Amino acid sequence: MSSVRLGYGSDRLVSNSQTKKRHSSDEENPSSPLQSRNKKICLEAQKEDIENMDRQKHANFSTMAPNGVRSMGLGKSKGSEKKVLSIKNLKVHQVAAVDHVSESWACLKEAVVAIQESRKLRENLTQEDLYRCVDNLITQRSPAQLYADLRDLTETHIKSQLENFINSSGDRLIFLRQVNDCWTHHCHQMKMVGNIFLALDRGYVLQTAHVSSIWDMGLELFRQHILEEVIVENRCVDGLLMMIEQERGGETIDRSLVKSLLRMLSSLQIYHKVFENKFLMATEQLYSREGQRLMQERDVPQYLQHVEKRLNEENNRILHYLDPSTKRQLIYCVEKQMLNEHKTALLQKGLDQLLDQNRRKDLSLLYSLFSRIKGGLDYLCSQFNAYIKTHGKTIVINPEKDRVMVQELLDFKDKMDGIVSDCFCNSDRFVLALKEAFEHFINQRLNKPAELIAKFVDGKLKAGNKEATEDELERLLDKIMVLFRFIHGKDVFEAFYKKDLSKRLLLGKSASVDAEKSMLSKLKQECGPGFTSKLEGMFKDMELSKDIMLAFKQNLQNMSKNSTLPLELSVNILTMGYWPNYQIMEVEMPSDMVQYQQIFTKFYLGKHSGRKLQWQPTLGHCVLKAAFPNGPKELQVSLFQALVLLLFNTTDVFSLDEITSRTNIEDTLLRRTLQSLACGKARVLIKNPKSKDVNDGDKFIYNKDFSNQLFRIKINQIQMKETSEEQQQTEERVFQDRQYQIDAAIVRIMKMRKIIPHNLLISELFDQLKFPVKPADLKKRIESLIDRDYMERDKDNPNTYNYVA
Amino acid sequence: MKIKIKSWTGVATWRWIANDDNCGICRMPFENCCSDCKLPGDDCPLVWGQCSHCFHIHCIMKWLQSQQLQQQCPMCRQEWKFKE
Repeated sequence: MSSVRLGYGSDRLVSNSQTKKRHSSDEENPSSPLQSRNKKICLEAQKEDIENMDRQKHANFSTMAPNGVRSMGLGKSKGSEKKVLSIKNLKVHQVAAVDHVSESWACLKEAVVAIQESRKLRENLTQEDLYRCVDNLITQRSPAQLYADLRDLTETHIKSQLENFINSSGDRLIFLRQVNDCWTHHCHQMKMVGNIFLALDRGYVLQTAHVSSIWDMGLELFRQHILEEVIVENRCVDGLLMMIEQERGGETIDRSLVKSLLRMLSSLQIYHKVFENKFLMATEQLYSREGQRLMQERDVPQYLQHVEKRLNEENNRILHYLDPSTKRQLIYCVEKQMLNEHKTALLQKGLDQLLDQNRRKDLSLLYSLFSRIKGGLDYLCSQFNAYIKTHGKTIVINPEKDRVMVQELLDFKDKMDGIVSDCFCNSDRFVLALKEAFEHFINQRLNKPAELIAKFVDGKLKAGNKEATEDELERLLDKIMVLFRFIHGKDVFEAFYKKDLSKRLLLGKSASVDAEKSMLSKLKQECGPGFTSKLEGMFKDMELSKDIMLAFKQNLQNMSKNSTLPLELSVNILTMGYWPNYQIMEVEMPSDMVQYQQIFTKFYLGKHSGRKLQWQPTLGHCVLKAAFPNGPKELQVSLFQALVLLLFNTTDVFSLDEITSRTNIEDTLLRRTLQSLACGKARVLIKNPKSKDVNDGDKFIYNKDFSNQLFRIKINQIQMKETSEEQQQTEERVFQDRQYQIDAAIVRIMKMRKIIPHNLLISELFDQLKFPVKPADLKKRIESLIDRDYMERDKDNPNTYNYVA
Repeated sequence: MKIKIKSWTGVATWRWIANDDNCGICRMPFENCCSDCKLPGDDCPLVWGQCSHCFHIHCIMKWLQSQQLQQQCPMCRQEWKFKE
């Protein structure tokens, strides 16, 4: 309403304070009739004004132009205060003037035309008069007629505007500005006209169906005559698209112009029809082209960054000028053209590289972008899985890399874990894919990874491994357990672990009992008590042995107080079932050692009847005191090494044959023992002729000049050959155990089913057996069971087996 | 060369002295435990009868408990007496 006053440079304002002023001046001079009349009018005007304000509040402008035309009024209202007084007289004049129908219409028409042409209103025509005219026409003539007249008037004006556009030859931007100006102007005038014809809007329009409000009528006419004109529509939409394309190309454009025009289109309700489709098509084309071009030109991380930038830009575009309803389609369009179309190429080209180089930031981006497209994460996940499989296989499969395999596996697992938690939101499916992939590739190579993991643990648990604190070791063991979990052939691990554990225990090499126990409890937790019972038995044996040795020493003291024993003996007594099998071997030992051994045997058997003791010389070790000319030394050696060295107490030179006959040590073991004494780091003996390997006829001479910085010297056994042999033995034992397990499983199934076809039996076996087996092996076992009459082939159908009870 | 042994850590394994490889009752090797036990060795010892037959202690005890009248060795049907 305030805008109306402004519009025709008006005239009258009634603020409360001023009315009061007038009142007071009236009261001062009550005698003047003219004044009292004026007063009446004033009051009336005030009343009407308040009424108008009321109406304004409830006015129903279905679509308010958002251009802010309305908001300007209040501020300026004070500026027109001065004119207030001059109006009073005019009004008197007009009440009488406008009472005739045609005159009223002429008045209104004049006002409307003035508004349309942005002219000032005639000085003597106030808004109040105009209201009155409208009222007159409504009451004295039909409101429909008035509405139709107004419509005609508006239509004529709008039609006249069209000329400008059709003839306009300016460039697009200028044209757009023109349209925009026309539009803002239209909004502006329609609002003012609407205010004048408020009574029409409130009465006739509301009460009559199918008649739109004056504002809506304006919009409709505008649409009909201007924008539905093909030339205007096309130029306008093309211009908008061009501006947006310019902006996408990196130029700055007049966003407010675009915004205003797009609002215009939405107000006219043709946004979706004329603009949105074209816009989306243009977007699709642009990004389809851009996607294809950039996929060629840029590497994947750059491309991804670009896509993200584009998405941000489009989002901004929606915030700034596009209609919010376009958002979903627009973003979908960008995602489709830039990501979905290229998802295969993107991952094939870039994922391996990103993972290899551990580029977490780019991977996070990749994840967030792929989470936008349908099925994107599934695809990413499967590619991730495939990457782990191929990369993991290269770690596992190459025998030359066996030495570093476990460490690499640990590092690889760490890296992948990090990526999953940092970049892939720790999403369940990725965690699962990671696990699945690890399990898959680690079992690509049978048995070896299990063996190497056991060896790796051995290396970490061995004494002298000072690189890690207890906490670090514990964490490391936890990580190893994760790898262990993936392995199918856990029995292979157990066999090698047991072998290494036995060495650690018997040679006293274990770094820390706590660490051993913690590893054991981890294994127990993972595989159940059955898996570790034998390992625990080994620890128990070690403790029992300690007790027995205590008792033995007390016994010795009681028995022979007078005879002092020359050496200290301690024995580890092993229960056969727990420990790995050892080769039994008889060797010649000095008589005092043999005697001592017998005393102990007697003592032990006295305590435990019904048992037999078997000495295992291969596992024994000694500490020797040796007096060299260069000073005394203490040598830590194996029993065999000790036996050989003891020979040199009597003579300085021995040939290989002599040593063999005197010690009765098995040939290959003896050669290895001699090699360690004469060709190792600490050479207590000298070999003649000098060479690396021990050959027939070699002579060994006591090394008088032996010297070493250390007092205590450990002479390592040479192990190379032993390990490969031992390894084979261990593996063979594992395979034997597996045969029993296969037999047991077959019999279990047969007992339950009685009759079963071959294929079903095989598949059930695969389910039951926890280690990898080949069908050929299973067939062999089935044959063997048939031979042993556990089952038979069905006479009619050779592919079916019957259980034989 | 003067060398003396200061200390010696020997290793010995023990096994049962039995007249058979397997227990006559449970048919498990004596090296292993009876079918009710998990671990061989001290947890599942062997016992000998005066008839010189031996069994896992758990196996023979179960057998003897199931005998109503006379307690006989399951192998030779002689009266079962533990060897001292």
